[in-house]
Amino acid sequence: MFRSEALLGVPIQFRGSSQRQTLDNVVSAARSADFEQLALPLLASLYNHAFWLTRNHAEAEDLVQETFSKALRAFDSFQADTNFKGWIFRILRNTFFTSRSGIAASRTVFLEDHPHALETPDTSSTPEDNLIRLDNQAALQRALEQLEPPLREALLLCDVEEVKYRDIALILDIPIGTVMSRISRARRALRQLLQLQLGESQ
Amino acid sequence: MIQAIEHLNPDTLSAFVDGELPDGEQEAIQQHLAGCHVCALRVLSATELKAATARAGRRFALPPGTLARLTAQLHREPRGSLRIHSTRRVAWASLAAAMLLAVSLIGWRQLHETNTLAAELLDQHLATLSSAAAPQVISSDRHTVKPWFQGRLPFSFNLPDAPALPPDTTLKGADLAYLHGQPAALLLFTIHKHQVSVFLTQRSGDPNLVALPGVRSGFTIHSAATHDLQIVAVSDVNPADLDALVATLLRAQSPS
Repeated sequence: MFRSEALLGVPIQFRGSSQRQTLDNVVSAARSADFEQLALPLLASLYNHAFWLTRNHAEAEDLVQETFSKALRAFDSFQADTNFKGWIFRILRNTFFTSRSGIAASRTVFLEDHPHALETPDTSSTPEDNLIRLDNQAALQRALEQLEPPLREALLLCDVEEVKYRDIALILDIPIGTVMSRISRARRALRQLLQLQLGESQ
Repeated sequence: MIQAIEHLNPDTLSAFVDGELPDGEQEAIQQHLAGCHVCALRVLSATELKAATARAGRRFALPPGTLARLTAQLHREPRGSLRIHSTRRVAWASLAAAMLLAVSLIGWRQLHETNTLAAELLDQHLATLSSAAAPQVISSDRHTVKPWFQGRLPFSFNLPDAPALPPDTTLKGADLAYLHGQPAALLLFTIHKHQVSVFLTQRSGDPNLVALPGVRSGFTIHSAATHDLQIVAVSDVNPADLDALVATLLRAQSPS
């Protein structure tokens, strides 16, 4: 191949650069393939989470699309030994909060970490709370919808996406202790909402 | 010597269920649970809530069009605009590799999702079998059952008259359900005392519904579709009887 290039009169100094270019392309293609391999299996999860944030099919799709775009461009900064899921969910979330509906959503102040501001009474040591019916999927979905978004977000990352507290802290950009208390509060609030629904239907 | 029992505080209990406590603490709690019935029940209940949340939160399925667009985007997007002058061979090779990867991943994902969907169907069917879970509408009258869904579902469907149902098949009631993130009408029938759950959803072109296994854990799963509805029936009744019911429901959707 080099010979034919020489025969065709390709100047020698271009040979090296074209080789490098080809190499770059191979590396780039390999990195893109790496990215795809990591990102494709998360498509359904990212979309589900995007929908919980945006509450709208078109916006959820746009959000995932933009997330992929940003993540692909930033993929060089991704370190192979870190958690890809945490990394891309963080991008998804940051992208959401710079979108129009995200900015609107972030205007709602969440009064947490002032423990008494929104304290849900702890009823969890009463035996009654074991009697909640969890077989009613629709009721649980209604309750999830009524949860305050910051509580819901932490809970969904934990229970649905099975992300560890450490990575949730990175995604939400909050201390790990706050992750722990948000998840715990989310669960207490869910129980209360379910109990309320149960009371209403009786 | 009386030791005051201090119950687990809710944050600790929640972190315990998530397996997020340091080893030493995790063990100490195991020991506490062995002797404290109240906390053991709370842990059980918290575990159930966690599992139920995982199911309920996995709610918004990717519409097929969106899946196709996003997958295409993943293949199309070039990394670094300066590298666009690639030699053709590399471009084609990487394209081919990407397509192969996508096809195999989508295949894997579909298989995986088909199994989850079958498990979800079975779960919901089993839930209806427990006597504690009475359906929201208890009626064998189609004129009661059908209107109940109005405003609750983004689509409508027809129900056959009682005499049009196959022999010894009775409509028992109905409920609202979610299947694969989509709202579904859940119709409960009995055929010769066997319980049957029939799910009606909007047809989404979801290939998972078509690829459902016929038998799972001893239950028969039959699905059929009209132009805009998907019907999936689950039961332990014999497959021929289940088929007859599905066929009757299909016929009812296209009144001649």
